[in-house]
Amino acid sequence: MGLDQPRLELLALLLVPLVGGIAVALLGPKRGDAVRWTSAVVAFLTLFLAIMVTGRFMRLHVSLAEDIAAVRAKGVPTFRPEFVPGSPGVKRDENLKPVGEDPYGTSWNLLPLGRGAVQFYIGVDGLNVWLIMLTAALTVPAVLVSWTYIHERVNEFYAWLLILQTAMMGIFMSFDIILFYVFFELSLVPLFFLIGIWGGSERRHAAGKFFIYTLTGSLITLLGVLGVVLACYTKTNGELTFSIPRLVEIVHTRLALPDRAEQAYWAGVQTWVFLALMAGFAIKVPLVPFHTWLPLAHVEAPTAGSVDLAGVLLKVGAYGFLRLCIPLAPDVSLSLGLPLVSSLAAVGLVYGAYCAYSQDDIKRLVAYSSVSHLGLCMLGMFALNVAGVMGSLMQMINHGLSTAGLFLIVGMLYERYHTRKIADYGGMAARLPILSACMVFVCMSSVGLPGLNGFIGEALSLMGVFEQQYTRGQFPIYGVVGATGMFLGAWYLMTMLQRVFFGPVKEPSLAGHGHQAPITDLTFREVLTLAPVLILCLVIGVYPQPMLDTARPDVGVIDSIATRARERDRVATAEREAARPAVAENDRQGVAP
Amino acid sequence: MNPDIVKLPSVSEVAASQAGVFALVVPEIVLIAAACVLFILATVRGVGRERAGIAALLALFGAGVALWITAAKFPSIEARQENIQERTATLKTLASSDGKAIEKKALDEGQRSVELSLYTNSILQSRIGLLTRLIAIVGGIVLVLFSWHQVSHYRAAEYHACLLVIVAGLGLTGASNDLITLFVALELISIPTYVILYLQRTDRQAQEAAAKYFLLSVFSSGLLLFGFSYMYGVTGSTNLPAMLDGLHSRPTQVLTLVAVVMVVAGLGFKITAVPFHFYAPDVYQGAAPAAAALLAFVPKVAGFVVLLRVFGFIWPQYEFWPGLVLGLRVPTVLFWILATITMTVGNVLALLQDNLRRLLAYSSVSHAGYMLIGLAAAPGLSLASSPMAGGSEAVLFYLVAYAAMTLGAFAVIIYLGTQERPVETVDDLAGLGQSHPGIALMMMLFLFSLLGMPLTAGFAGKLLIFMGAMALPAEAGGQALPDVDKLREYALMLRWLALIGAINAAIGGWYYLRIIGAMYLRSPLKALTPTRTWQGLAAMWICAAVTLGLGIYPWPLVKAAHKTAAFPEKLSDQAKAP
Repeated sequence: MGLDQPRLELLALLLVPLVGGIAVALLGPKRGDAVRWTSAVVAFLTLFLAIMVTGRFMRLHVSLAEDIAAVRAKGVPTFRPEFVPGSPGVKRDENLKPVGEDPYGTSWNLLPLGRGAVQFYIGVDGLNVWLIMLTAALTVPAVLVSWTYIHERVNEFYAWLLILQTAMMGIFMSFDIILFYVFFELSLVPLFFLIGIWGGSERRHAAGKFFIYTLTGSLITLLGVLGVVLACYTKTNGELTFSIPRLVEIVHTRLALPDRAEQAYWAGVQTWVFLALMAGFAIKVPLVPFHTWLPLAHVEAPTAGSVDLAGVLLKVGAYGFLRLCIPLAPDVSLSLGLPLVSSLAAVGLVYGAYCAYSQDDIKRLVAYSSVSHLGLCMLGMFALNVAGVMGSLMQMINHGLSTAGLFLIVGMLYERYHTRKIADYGGMAARLPILSACMVFVCMSSVGLPGLNGFIGEALSLMGVFEQQYTRGQFPIYGVVGATGMFLGAWYLMTMLQRVFFGPVKEPSLAGHGHQAPITDLTFREVLTLAPVLILCLVIGVYPQPMLDTARPDVGVIDSIATRARERDRVATAEREAARPAVAENDRQGVAP
Repeated sequence: MNPDIVKLPSVSEVAASQAGVFALVVPEIVLIAAACVLFILATVRGVGRERAGIAALLALFGAGVALWITAAKFPSIEARQENIQERTATLKTLASSDGKAIEKKALDEGQRSVELSLYTNSILQSRIGLLTRLIAIVGGIVLVLFSWHQVSHYRAAEYHACLLVIVAGLGLTGASNDLITLFVALELISIPTYVILYLQRTDRQAQEAAAKYFLLSVFSSGLLLFGFSYMYGVTGSTNLPAMLDGLHSRPTQVLTLVAVVMVVAGLGFKITAVPFHFYAPDVYQGAAPAAAALLAFVPKVAGFVVLLRVFGFIWPQYEFWPGLVLGLRVPTVLFWILATITMTVGNVLALLQDNLRRLLAYSSVSHAGYMLIGLAAAPGLSLASSPMAGGSEAVLFYLVAYAAMTLGAFAVIIYLGTQERPVETVDDLAGLGQSHPGIALMMMLFLFSLLGMPLTAGFAGKLLIFMGAMALPAEAGGQALPDVDKLREYALMLRWLALIGAINAAIGGWYYLRIIGAMYLRSPLKALTPTRTWQGLAAMWICAAVTLGLGIYPWPLVKAAHKTAAFPEKLSDQAKAP
């Protein structure tokens, strides 16, 4: 079976929330407290498993200690998942006879098709390990924050929340391209119900819009996924594989061939694959013209839904770019993706910030700040160098933590006063000192104050962007926009802080809500909810090195992929220059004297 | 064509070959016999609802057992051919020359008998036949179960008898090997359907629906027969393999095109392809829910099976490349256009519907469109004896998935509705998630499957369809084909078709989601009071099990579909040349 302890832990990490969700659903709506405690236990158990897996992976990596140079020298770059459940897969020749082991697969086949199979191929590598950790870490606050907020259909709520966790874990863990897509689609269902049943007044509209928007994009993504699989199938004499590492390897082996026809073929395939994949991921990130579902969904979702949506699901888009788009369409990522995605990201960065500033609803403000922050994340990623990709990866984690923190605190404030209007509040720091302190802390983290987590990601991303544009000898326009965006982030968050938490005390009227107990500061449960997020913000801000170290080899893979793409681009440009007709050359000489 | 077959078979040979045919249709004989008994009993003395239902179930189980026995006893034509191939391959390894000669003779005889069966029998034991009959019998059980309490006591016997005849007809369409038999099988489906439509309801709407269906169905049968007669006229044979051989060996001519268009038009009514779909919404809405479910299931399966057979997309044949019977151009272009308009019209019009049965009618139109993508891509499959899933497999898989999820959705509607409180519109399902969580969960499963969410049969089906559509250039890779450039053009067309399909699937998401939203996101308007019956629950459970099972582990059916659609390797190298 191939299930030693680390593999079993990984599998459990994926399945425990699912089993927990089903169990919670079966408890029935009447047993509210049992449901809550079961969910909390499941959430903590998942967190524990995630810590175990991460710990093992970090130890493994210290012992392997690969450096970027070593990765670069290693030949065709591709991912290497660890802790894959199942025995290594079987390679087959044209007649379906087994011919040895397949290092990029597992024996757990789901749907064998010819020489390949859709497999249950999950694992951990440097790109996903921290995202898995983030997913597990954010489920605890998501469960705790809903403790008193959710009264109706409690069992369904927690069931969907836990199932959502399985789906998100699955997205990050999958190394089979169809499995990835399956989890990608499945994550829509729980969130549809979370928003649609327990959301605000516009919830049904928001849930529907979110679902259809994402579904449309992801169906086109599916075509891109199939396109790349079938292109590899055509070019390898019928090797049908769905394993992401193997596909990356095939693409790069074929790209390295000095054959003109081959290169023309892949140029065409890459363009379509990139655009198709981007359709789904750009909506999920969201890049600017495709972001309209986001403010609505965020504002209407219950706090736990917003936490998961902003904290984890928005990362899925960025992660998809990193895991699929760049490795499977490297040349087009460079020639088309870099200008296109970077421009959209830069526009989103500034536009999101201005939109955030002009909101009168705190939750809406936080939602637009996500658009802005993810703009910076994408800008860093499409710098396509070590610093940029690393920064982008850090930005994903950090944005997950700080935005989750913001949504949690806004949710707690809303639970007390039943309003989110900035104008209704004032001087809350005097009324709710602990809550306000937490808010200031999280805002600082989100703004990117050195010493807190946000700074690491933003600084690295910007370094990457500047480096990329300087080495090309361009004016660093994206870098300048990125830096402006950081400044704007401070602007709108500080303004909000000042209006809501400082100045003369102004409490919203509680009339019409039939209010009961007097307003109190954070309870012990709420402190417990916020504590992990705040602590992680501080720890990552002060000592990010372990994260950078574990991610480095796989960021090196992306960098190596990008370096090769740049090299090919350089060669092709040089060839075009050389092949330019002599007439043009003469003309130029004619003008010069 | 194999030179052996040019030698005309003698009368005695044909008689010997035909003699086994009756044994092959024992399942259908069981069904028809049971139907006759029910018809007669219904006239002599009343047969209650319970007894008629039990009799029908028993007949279906009997047919299932008979199918199992005949399948075990008479190997399918593909299995026979494969067996001969295996033995031919091992022929060289035999030591003694005597043994070789004896084996060679046995092989030649075996080959001859396979060819005789193919070219003379009107009923053939083939994998497509077995698969169709399996679908028919399981679908028939579901139909009997959920119509149980829908029919009045004194009409139950006739109703169930008609159902049995329809199931028999559906099985026969898969098994028949001759245009005439095929047509008779299709009529065996149509005629009892008219009776059922008239039997169930007596109000004006129902009568309008029945009349509409009757007239259009008769018209479509006429078109189909017209097309068949042209096919016979062009090729001089009603035997399917001989007819396909004939079409293949002649260049495509106007008469062939007329025949193809007529056949597609005739079958278009059955599969509700646009522009032959317009009866569907009215009839589904007007007819009783159980009859609407029947219309959504049986004619569609029959229509697609016949399309696959008649155009040679599936063929237990080894003389030529299937799919190339008509060349690439005609089927690809024809089904491309048909698929595009069918999907788009079905999905867009479904967006506007409030009545559930009307909505499901348009949904069934759009699913016919997805399956037509598979047909448009089907010619590509045969270009290499590839291990991969192509268009024909995708259609076969999708048919099963479609049957399970659509019948399931109807089963839920039928289960929930009562005389006093019928389930007619989307609003009637509001709040179902709270009032009947179990039923709502199953309905959600069927709707997500129709929508194409992962872990349901609908997703596996769409995946295979899209893959089949995009696989064409891959299939052509490395094959020395006469018209590779043309092939590239078709490959591009099919990829656009896949994109149109994907966008349509997203449009479809909207109206399925509306129902799910009504069930879970809204509170009940007026409580539903279904009567708990084991029959209704069993029907839902069967459909749910198939939908979920094929979603999580589609491999068994994909394999079966592949073996059905794929083609035993050709014997001689000479036959291999295009």
